[in-house]
Order: sequence, then C-alpha cells, then structure tokens
Amino acid sequence: MSKLARRAWFAYFLAAAMLAGLIVILVRYAVGAEDWMPFQNSGMVVDRSGTMLMDNTDGKSELADNATVRAAMLHILGDTQGYISPYLLNEYGDEMSGYDRITGTRHAGNSYGKMQLTVSAYAQEAAVYAFGGQKGTIGVYNYKTGEILCMVSSPTYDPRNVPDVAGNPDAYEGVYVNRFLHSAYAPGSTFKLVTAAAALEELDGVENRTFHCDGSALIGDEVVICNAVHGDISFNEALCRSCNVAFATIAQELGAEKLSQYADAFGVGKSLAFDGFITKKGNFDLSDATTFEAAWAGVGQYTDQINPCQYMTFMGAIANGGEAALPYLVERVSFGGQEQYHAERKTGGRILDQKTADELAEMMHYNVVNNYGEWYFSGLYAGAKSGTAERGEGQTPNALLAGFVRDEDYPLAFVVIVEGGGAGSTACTPIIRQVLDACIVAMN
Amino acid sequence: MFLQTINEYFRTDGRQLAQVFCTVFSFLAPALGILILWRCVKPLLRFRREPETWAWLVMPDGQQLPVTHWENIIGRSKGCDIIVNLSTVSRNHAVLTRYDDGSWSITEIGSRGAVSVNGEQVAVCALHYGDVISLGGVEMVLAPTTAEEVEEQKYYRTRPAAMASPGLTLFLLTVFQLLTALQFLMSSKPEKVLWSVGGVLALCALGWLLFLTLKIMRRSSFEVETLAFFISTLGLAVIASSDAASIPKQLVCIAGGVVIYLLLGWSLRDLSRAKRFRYIAAVAGLALLAANLVLGREINGAKNWIAIGSMSFQPSELVKLCFIYVGASTMDRIVTKRNLFSFIVYSGAICGCLALMNDFGTALIFFAALVVICLMRGGSFSAISLLATLAVCAAMLLLVIDIPPHVLRRFSTWGHAWDDPLGGGYDQVKSMMCIASGGLFGLGAGNGMFTHYVMAADTDYVFAFVCEEWGLIVGILPILAIIALGVFVARSASVGRSSFYTIGACAAVAIMMTQTILNVFGTMDLLPMTGVTFPFLSNGGSSMLASWGLLAFIKAADTRQDASFAVRTVRSEEVEQYE
Repeated sequence: MSKLARRAWFAYFLAAAMLAGLIVILVRYAVGAEDWMPFQNSGMVVDRSGTMLMDNTDGKSELADNATVRAAMLHILGDTQGYISPYLLNEYGDEMSGYDRITGTRHAGNSYGKMQLTVSAYAQEAAVYAFGGQKGTIGVYNYKTGEILCMVSSPTYDPRNVPDVAGNPDAYEGVYVNRFLHSAYAPGSTFKLVTAAAALEELDGVENRTFHCDGSALIGDEVVICNAVHGDISFNEALCRSCNVAFATIAQELGAEKLSQYADAFGVGKSLAFDGFITKKGNFDLSDATTFEAAWAGVGQYTDQINPCQYMTFMGAIANGGEAALPYLVERVSFGGQEQYHAERKTGGRILDQKTADELAEMMHYNVVNNYGEWYFSGLYAGAKSGTAERGEGQTPNALLAGFVRDEDYPLAFVVIVEGGGAGSTACTPIIRQVLDACIVAMN
Repeated sequence: MFLQTINEYFRTDGRQLAQVFCTVFSFLAPALGILILWRCVKPLLRFRREPETWAWLVMPDGQQLPVTHWENIIGRSKGCDIIVNLSTVSRNHAVLTRYDDGSWSITEIGSRGAVSVNGEQVAVCALHYGDVISLGGVEMVLAPTTAEEVEEQKYYRTRPAAMASPGLTLFLLTVFQLLTALQFLMSSKPEKVLWSVGGVLALCALGWLLFLTLKIMRRSSFEVETLAFFISTLGLAVIASSDAASIPKQLVCIAGGVVIYLLLGWSLRDLSRAKRFRYIAAVAGLALLAANLVLGREINGAKNWIAIGSMSFQPSELVKLCFIYVGASTMDRIVTKRNLFSFIVYSGAICGCLALMNDFGTALIFFAALVVICLMRGGSFSAISLLATLAVCAAMLLLVIDIPPHVLRRFSTWGHAWDDPLGGGYDQVKSMMCIASGGLFGLGAGNGMFTHYVMAADTDYVFAFVCEEWGLIVGILPILAIIALGVFVARSASVGRSSFYTIGACAAVAIMMTQTILNVFGTMDLLPMTGVTFPFLSNGGSSMLASWGLLAFIKAADTRQDASFAVRTVRSEEVEQYE
C-alpha cells in the first residue's frame, strides 16, 4: 500500500500540469486579451476628411455611397464573403468595441467605435479610375508624417455588387490579394536607385565619373545587354537613360557584399508591419550569385523582388534627406467619443546620408525633367525612376514608377505598378498624374 | 404561464431592474463561486491523514506494529507497509489482508522464506486474533485493536471534517442557483423561461435530495458532491443559453448519474461484492463497445454514437466505468499475479474498438487510465514507458494508414489557430474572442454570442462558453475543482484501505483530469482539439452519467471518518466480536 501511495503522486503531476496550463492561459489573457478581439462588425470608418466608408452603427450595415470608392476600399476594409480579411479592422477590434480586459465588452451599451483612416476617398476613387481595370497597384504617402493617402490594388470590385470572380479568372486574377502590401514584384530599372545610393556612399567621386557603353559589356563570363548604345555617359545620365552597362559596372565595383548590405538597409528583404498588416518581403539574395549575376542584380534583374509599400518608404527616405516616417493607415480610433488610439509618427531610422539622399533626389528630379515631364507631377519639384520588368516569353512586361514630390506642403512618395503595362514611364505617368492631383486636393 | 408573465415584465417595463440585477449578479457570482469552491476544497486538501489502525502485530520482543491498511505487505524492504528488518525475511514476504467482515488472511508471496501459521506452513490462510504467524522464523501475533483505541481514532479523524459544515456550503450553492434562476427569469427568451428556470430549480432540489439521503445514511461529508453540483449548475446554465430544449434530457441524465453514483458506491462498499462486479463490468464493457461498433452512427467524424429512438448516446463513456472496475485490484492479487498481461490485452481490445470508431479523444483518455492503472499496479517504469511507446507507435501507424481527415485538420492547425482564423483555427479563435469579450465577469448568463459561432460550443468548447457568459473568474473554478479532486485522491492514497479503492480513485481522477486538460487546452489551442467533454460541465447525457460514476470511485477512497457512503463504517461491536 505504501508503494501505491507513492505512485499516487502522478495525480500531483497531472494537477501541476493543469495548473501550469491554467497559468499560461491567464498570462496570455493578461498580456493579450485585446488581441483576441476581432472587429465586431459594429462602428464606423471614415476617411481623412470624414467621408463615410463603412457604417455599422445602430444595426446599420452600410458602405460608402460611391461604388468606385467601395471598390477602392475593398482591400483595406475586406469583403463580406471572407476572402479578404479585414486585418485593419481586426487589429483595432478591441478599441472599436471599447474593450477592456476587466469588464470585457459588457459596458459597451449603445456607444460605438469610430475609426478615421489616413486615406482620401477622393484619391482612392481617382486611382481606381486611373487604372481603368488594368492590373497593378498604387500607393502614395506623406513621408514626413507617414499617412498613406492612397492605396489601391487593381483589379477590384464593388463588394455590394460582387462579380463572377470564378467565371472570369483572367480579369480577376489575384483580386483577393492586396497587391500593394502582399505582393512582391521584379523591380526592373527602379532598382538602380538602390545601386546608385550605394555607389554615392561607397565609391568616391562616382558622380563625376564617365562610363562607356557599347550596348553590351562582358561582366564576369556573361554579357550584359543595354537598352541602347550610350557611348560615353556620366553617372547622372546613366540613371536618366537607365544604362545597364554603366550600372552593371558600378554594381560589379561595389561587389555582392556591399550591394546586399545596402539593399538590406533599405529594407528590400524585410517586412513592414502596421495597423495589423504585415507586408510581403522582397528579395535580394546574392548568396549563390556569380560575378555576372551580382552585377545583373544591381541592375534590378536576377532574382530581385521588391514590395511596393516597402519601396515607397525608400522613396520617402530619399526625398526626406535620408530618413522617412513609416507608413500607416489608421489616424485615430475613438469609442463613445473617447479617444482609444492615436497614430504616432514612427521612423525607420536614417538609411542614407543627407548628402547622398539630396544628390540622388536631384538625379531623380533630372530624370523627371528630361524623361517624363514635370507636368505629370502637378508641376511640383518631383523625382522618379521608371522600370520595365520582363515577365517571361510572350508577356508584356510590367511597368513600374517609383518617386516622390519634394515640397513643403505636399511631401509625397509613391510607387505605381501596372502589370503588363509595357514601358515603365508610358503606362505609369498618366496614373500618377491623376492620383497626385487628387492627393493634393485631399491635402488642401 | 406565471413565469412567462414575470419574464414579460422584466423584458419590458422592468428592463432597468433586470439590467441592474444582471450587473450585480455578475459580480456576486464569482464571489459566491469562489466561496463555494473554497469551502468544498479546503477540507479535501487539508484533512489530517491519520492512519487507521486495524490491528496490531506483536513482535517477539513485545514491540507492537500497527496494521494501518486493509492490505499490507510485510517484508524487509523499505517499501513495505510493515517492515520487519531481519535478514531471514524476504524483501516482500507476505500480504496481510483484512476483509469487510473484519476477518483476516495472510498470503505468502516471497520467493524464498515460507509463511507458517500456528506452526503449519501455508500459502494462503485465514487468520484469527491470537494466531502466531511465522515469517522466515520470526514469530508474530495478530492482536485486535481495543474499543478505546477505535474511539480515540474516531475522535481524531472526525475533527478536521468538522471544519466546514457541508450543509452551509450546499446552502450557498442553493443561493447561487436561485440567483441564476432569477437571472434566467428576467433575461431569457420567453420560450426558454420555463426550462431554464425550472431546470436550475430542479437541479437544486436534486442536490438537497442527495444530501438528505446521505444524511439519513449518517454520512457527513458532501464536498465532492457539492463540487459536482456546482459544475453541473454552470453546465445547465450553458445549455439554457445554447439549447434550452435539451435541459430535460440533461436533468434526467444528472438524476441518472446520481443513481449510478449511489449504485456504484453501494457495489464498492463491500469489497467482496466489488470483486464479483469486476467480471460483470469486464463483459459489459466489451459488450457495450461491440454493440457500438455494430449499431454505431457517425456524428462529426467519430462513429461513437448509438441512437435509440430519438435519443443518442455514447457507450464509450460508460465503458470508462467498466474499465476502471476491471483495472482495480486488491493487493494479494497484484503481488501474486504480477503480470498485467490479461489487463493489457483487455485494454488493447477496448482501444482497438475506439480506433475503429475513429474516436481519437476517448482512446487517449482510456490510454491515460491504462497507464495510471499499470503504474498503480506496480508496473515498473520501464514497462510503462515501453507500453507508452508501443501505443504511440500503434497510433502513428493507424494515422499513417488511415488518417481521419478531421483529426488531421486539428493537428495541422494546432498552435497556429491565429494563422488561419477563418479555416482550421476558426473555433479556437472564436473561443478566445468570446473569452476576451466576457472579461473577468462575463456578459451574463444567456447573453453570449459564442453558441452562434461555433458548432460544439456547449461541449468541446464549453470553457469558452462559460467564460463568455460568466467571466474568466467563474470559468476557471471548474478547472480548479477538478485539480482539487486530483490532489485529494493523491493525498488520501497514503491512508487508503484497499488497493482496489486507491487504484479505482486514481484511475477515475486521472480520467477526469485528462478530459479537463484535453477539453480546456484544446479550446485554448495549447493542445490539439480532441473533442472530449469537460466532466459535469459539457452538454451531453452519457458524459454526465460517466462523470457521476467516476465520482463514486473517488468517493470510495475517502477514508475520513463517516465521510463516504461508499465506505462501510466499522462499528465498535464489530471489533469486539473478534476479541
């Protein structure tokens, strides 16, 4: 019997396991119960100027009046069928329901939550129009504060009038994905900005050097093909004309290690996390790259991928002297008139010297003046770099444009991508023109 | 209807009053719950473990050794109950057994060294007081305890039981139940009022009925029963909110559970009767599962239901009771028939049936009980770990051959519920959402949303249900109650009378604890969801019947003076009779 009594200790062991589990549960509750509260489908969401985007108060279940605005907000507010998760609403589910850990949601009564976004319904609408059904994405944000003024992923649809998505796989390819946050694209020549920034910091006097382009060049044991025969070409002109030979040479001089270091510093392979969203990581991996491949990657080819939102932040840093605010979407959340959350400016830290950033900004401005035309950018001091990324045999390449407006009143950075848009500047500049105009109106 | 008229008033004109009451009760309920739990648990955890002395062994030198159990191993080793530290005595030499009627026997178990009684060498022999037992040449005499000693023991063993009045605790539970009924009267939907209010009141009456029955049997303790009724009250409140129409069924099953509790207690009361019941239980267990295999219906992926008319029940729940009955054993059997072969074969048959039914959760519970029974029956740790390894391999093999999709899905999302909140992690995510929504004090009985989100809200995910409507504080009380039962069983093992009772109680409490662990931790995504019930709390008739049956085994190990009806009181006359 005494042996039996000793063996009954197993019950203490089980009891201890139960207690331990219970403690884990209680600690998780104490630490993060509010994260367990998703959006309760109650409350109101408005844009930066107070335009209603979603109204679920008093038993209502309404979205914006304008069908185009509803479509533009689809990837931010989610759909009703559960294909597009309302990450943002869920993130602030506790604030929207006036939640607290002691009383739960019981005291809520008839009060409701109100969320104000940084986006402008007007700019959102303009973006959907500008895309006109083309696939792609656009994002514009204020690099001084971090407010995202416009973020649209196309194709999209009006959640009040759901189309036959399954029946039109081509037209609605990837419609449930927020391309701006959750996609990564081959960057094409827009990536030359990364290489240029690294060169300005690492290669003394690179801005005064002259490169020579015969239309192609042997790097390592393969040949880099250029888009033209540029002859003798300055650093500034090389960026302006997007000379592959010059940039492959620069990338080779920098070497894989330095290039990777700068790509990493600019966040190419990293995620941004804000308001419940986690952006997809881009890719810049030279671990197995040959000399040629490393140089090719510096031109924006090889296995390079960028996330549009992350790259927009890089544009902000160039425009803002080397350091920019991180983007966000939710300005404030209140419950029953009481403020629950207010966005704060966060910065990703300095990633470039002021001098480098200014020089690069100047080069990008030169690009705008000589290539695209300032009138595409509301006549403001703007800088940009386009890119054309091949997608494979027989497919029209993707068009990309990344840049900024450097203006006291309108400090905006942007990324536009048009899938199958062909040459970068042609497809993207009309879109950015309309959206920038709308953003500027929204900021006035 | 009178009740509906009152309900109508509180839902219209008296709405304010109803809300005030709901708020007050939400703070009062945790306080009452904690008080009830504390009053029940304190005596269980703090009773003085005074060993009972059933007889004396008088050694050659005049030294008297107390015989403190009904089954005692005599030998040289430290693990023996009566240690005779002489080299001629085997490590484990003999078992001295007392029977219900107060008679004694001695069984020889040592590999060397014989046992003789009054000079005659024996293997098994009935003993009388005054008989001279010789173990390896050491002679000792069995002497009875005196009436004074019995009375003295009684005095010491009764004292701690007097700490908390079980009647008062039950009264507190009644207050809790009346307030719950009032809450339902005020706030439940008109069509639910009758059963919600009536159900809680009927449960209250049933509690007092059992209390008075035991009082008539002059049994003083009611702690474990009060705990069971407390958890059942919460369970009934959950059903009132989720599925009021099944309240009558649940009530009938609670009453049935109490009957099973009394019947099992009666059968356990007399050890020789209990031993006869073992064979019936063994056959009944297999028959139930066989019937299940033949007649079973598949519900939610597992084929463990039998439908009789409109009622359906899970035979595997009742098999738990049979399984414990078969597994429990007296010490003389344990030490003479050392191998567990036949029991393991029996267990294998049962687990095989469960595997065929795809009932993974129940198989796990039986396995836990099997391990505990083997452990208690003296299996070596290496043997038990071998058993565990074999079982894991068998389970893996079964899974590889034929993975039931519902099991696979649960395992693949385990620990990552939040990564797939609309798919595999849906139930757990909704559970945590509702737990958070309830806060510490809950939304009020009947006000929760959980039942609208999740299918098995009132069974597999019942922990979240209680937390949402009653708050986290009340939600963890049932868990603490089960923990207390576990500690109580572990504590009382040292003063256990027969290994039959101790093994039975240990297996029963192991099943309860395992179920609670799987249920609660499955809900919270700490473990994969296995779909087992929370004892007394989950909606389910078969589970309720089984839970009360398990409680009878626990109660039978309660050796506090006059505490348990499942333990026969030893009257002073009985002692004198043998003097």
